[in-house]
Amino acid sequence: MKRIGVFVCHCGINIAGTVDVKRVVEALKGYPGVEHVEDYIYLCSEPGQGLVRDAIKRKQLGAVVVAACSPSLHEVTFRGVTKDAGLNPYQCEIANIREQCSWVHQEDKGFATKKATRIVKSMVEVVRLDKDLEPIRVPVTRRAVVIGGGIAGIQTALDIADAGHEVLLVEKNPSIGGRMIQLSETFPTLDCSQCILTPKMVAVSRHPKIEVLTYHEVVGISGFVGNFKVELLKKPRYVKEGTCNLCNKCVEVCPVVVPSEFDVGLAWRKAIYLPFPQAVPSVYTLDEKSCLGLDPIRCGKCAEVCEPKAIEFDMRPEVFDVEAGAVVVATGFDLYPMSKLGEYGGERYEDVISSLEFERILSASGPTKGQVRRPSDGKVPREVVFIQCAGSRDPENHKPYCSKICCMYTAKHAMLYKHRVHDGTAYVFYIDVRTPGKDFEEFYQRTVEEDRVNYVRGKVSKVFKQGDKIVVWGVDTLSGKKVEVKADLVVLALPMVPAAGAEDLFKKLRLSTNEHGFVQEAHPKLRPVEHPNSGFYLAGVAQGPKDIPETVAQASGAAAKVDALFSSAELLREPTIAEVVEELCDGCAFCIDPCPVQAITLVEYTWDGEVKKRVKVNEALCVGCGVCMATCPKKGIAVRNFTADRFLSMVEAMLED
Amino acid sequence: MEIPYYPGCTLKAKATALEQSTIAAFGALDVLLKELPRWTCCGAVYPLSAKKIAGLAAPIRILREAKIMGSDTLVTACAFCYNVLKRANKEFGADALRKKRINAYLADDVRVDEVTSEKIREWPEYVGEEDVKVLHLLEFLRDRIGFDKIPVKKQLSGLGVAPYYGCTLLRPAKEIGLDDPEHPVIMHDLLRALGAEPVDFPFLNECCASFLSLIRPETALRASHLILSSAESEGARALVVTCPLCFYNVESRQSEIREQYPDFKGMPVFYFTELLALGLGVSLDCAVGWKEHTVDVRGLLESAGLMDRGHASLGLAAQEAGRTLGAIPGPSKR
Repeated sequence: MKRIGVFVCHCGINIAGTVDVKRVVEALKGYPGVEHVEDYIYLCSEPGQGLVRDAIKRKQLGAVVVAACSPSLHEVTFRGVTKDAGLNPYQCEIANIREQCSWVHQEDKGFATKKATRIVKSMVEVVRLDKDLEPIRVPVTRRAVVIGGGIAGIQTALDIADAGHEVLLVEKNPSIGGRMIQLSETFPTLDCSQCILTPKMVAVSRHPKIEVLTYHEVVGISGFVGNFKVELLKKPRYVKEGTCNLCNKCVEVCPVVVPSEFDVGLAWRKAIYLPFPQAVPSVYTLDEKSCLGLDPIRCGKCAEVCEPKAIEFDMRPEVFDVEAGAVVVATGFDLYPMSKLGEYGGERYEDVISSLEFERILSASGPTKGQVRRPSDGKVPREVVFIQCAGSRDPENHKPYCSKICCMYTAKHAMLYKHRVHDGTAYVFYIDVRTPGKDFEEFYQRTVEEDRVNYVRGKVSKVFKQGDKIVVWGVDTLSGKKVEVKADLVVLALPMVPAAGAEDLFKKLRLSTNEHGFVQEAHPKLRPVEHPNSGFYLAGVAQGPKDIPETVAQASGAAAKVDALFSSAELLREPTIAEVVEELCDGCAFCIDPCPVQAITLVEYTWDGEVKKRVKVNEALCVGCGVCMATCPKKGIAVRNFTADRFLSMVEAMLED
Repeated sequence: MEIPYYPGCTLKAKATALEQSTIAAFGALDVLLKELPRWTCCGAVYPLSAKKIAGLAAPIRILREAKIMGSDTLVTACAFCYNVLKRANKEFGADALRKKRINAYLADDVRVDEVTSEKIREWPEYVGEEDVKVLHLLEFLRDRIGFDKIPVKKQLSGLGVAPYYGCTLLRPAKEIGLDDPEHPVIMHDLLRALGAEPVDFPFLNECCASFLSLIRPETALRASHLILSSAESEGARALVVTCPLCFYNVESRQSEIREQYPDFKGMPVFYFTELLALGLGVSLDCAVGWKEHTVDVRGLLESAGLMDRGHASLGLAAQEAGRTLGAIPGPSKR
């Protein structure tokens, strides 16, 4: 029989303040199989660990139960200690008497002590049955797929590639650059966004380890960390890269004019187009949705004038698989649709624009070449109202969260407006001004003090058109007075929301999100660049609103995690996965469909002249979730060290008094 | 089609034009609005007290009456009644204990059997929205009949009316849910179906000052003037409303508004059911016709070619419908 040791942690007063640790120790003394019981103030400390290690050796223990905090925190620690002491690490179990006991029963110490005793006893029953397990070794494909070619994806790709690993940078749009390439100047230093981003775009396109796949989408994924198979869709561009010589003749003859995505609808583009001059790759794309017909009988003007014959109408979408060890999600954001903000006109008024449209108006490469002019009539606006939190921090009607960057970019917008229209007046309606960032507060103060922007603390209730003015009704909550501004232009700081299509993509990748669709991190503080599903990493606004410096930092963090994963050729996987109990499985196949990772297959074999059936588990795919176990009517499949007999003896131990 | 109908007090007093035109128009649509046999005031304002027991009793008693009639729907034309009944119905379902208490309280009611004159004390338990749904007649038209199914006899083209929604028809949006409170379209859509060209204006959902009309008439005048002049500057020749109180503020007070704001020349105001009746070919130009309108509507209707005296008068149509319903008292002796 196994000699079992039990160690009860006080966790300072976290446990001992509620649970009478000494009584738990007394209760376990003499419990069947328990050879050693001991308590200590902080078992996770170095002396605490030493205590466990020494006891295992001294008393020749065969298994240990550590009654302490959640196994998600220190299971790894104590399994390490067990291994150091010469045991198989799976001979250590954690009894969670903190999160599941002392923290929730602070008002009833007697009950907490009783419950803690039961939890510990039940874990003794588990460890009694635990088998020695060895980790599964799997090879690692040292290639990363980075989804999204904005600043987050670009930085991640560069950092992974610089460490010597291959990267596929997948972007659904015709060019990389993302949102950042659309911006004018960046806070708090006012350097031109394009000027600082284009060198990185060029670096990505020229990096020998990076393959840029623009106009591609991820459509599926299978496999697991280190061994993913990513299914990619190559959308037809109808223009052969490499053959096209960028002569622009196709654009000149194209008769179709549609709003430009790059200029957020403030300017036009043709059906065949280059999104912007510095696009990477520098090649035209024929947008099949607006093209008059890929049927050359209807139009085909572009193909006629194309001298190098680069236009090919019969290109078809292609789907292909790539192998990768890690996937980085850097899918970025869109703005919340203005049509949902009826109180601010809901897209009815041309001169009520989004902050991204204002970025394009301010941008040197924008539709007005950086001159501030309003969309309706091209006049220079004399009075501009900026509305912050136009949908953010509004749990009743829109989004409850803070979009984080709006205070700073609105200050920047107001400042740049004043720099260009010296005699103009700018108003900013705000709830609070939040400037936590290096040099941010100083920047905001400059906007108020040097550039004389009028900050009004209060919300705007209504925006409507009167003649050629946009009337803004708001309140100044500091003076308690209603405010009316007859403005020429109104700029809304709309909430940042996950990019269009992200929801669909995350479903395909089986990535959990929060209620607003931002992809979940493994731990909000300690593992902010990883997803709980191993092998998936996060960068940029896909995970939550953030500014450029923070995005770049997170991107480099994600890249470092990928590099760490790729640092060895082999990966150790948890051996606690499903195992078929050969004598009980009769191949009824109930477990095959419910398996969320398609790890189970049915095999047929001949035995004694008869055809028999049985299921088989793919060790590489199984994640040990236990769904198969729950569906099996014959106890024919079980997750190792997680079997039904353990649960039964746990329940018995719990019910004993 | 027959449907239980709750008129509310105002429609029997200050807003008979709304009731008459409603019954006439729906009569022309083959919808018999069966007035509840017993009803009280709905409370007029949604109860704001914490427990709302007393405040909910009246509307729930009204809804129970619809249940007794064997219907799962109750319609109303007044925006205020609609607001109270619909919210009370929703709120009632939220608290099981309060539901029990209100039902127990209402079980003390006594009714007299019409035939045997026997006193009856048996009442069904009222459950909530599962029992009876409250629909505004606009909603009923849109969802149960369909705007496209209205057999329009007379296109209301050239009328240039601005739909004015007010507050109670739209808010609070999460409880009422009739339309987008910032961008309502339901009356626009009805007007389009009738062949009119709705005029959009920014104050279509601003408050008319409501009950402030009584204690601070100057506020009501200012608000109403803002609404009317905004519609006018967008090119509207008339306003169309659903609510008797809105009508009072933006119509009945127009002489005072003109005194205070001499630039304002006046603008006719219709109830939506009056335009519906016109579109259905029911003439409103007689007995009860435009008596409650202080601003002349005939000029506008004539200029738009809508004053056809050949059609059945509302008086007759309504009285005919009224007799069947037993709903309409005799012509006012005022």
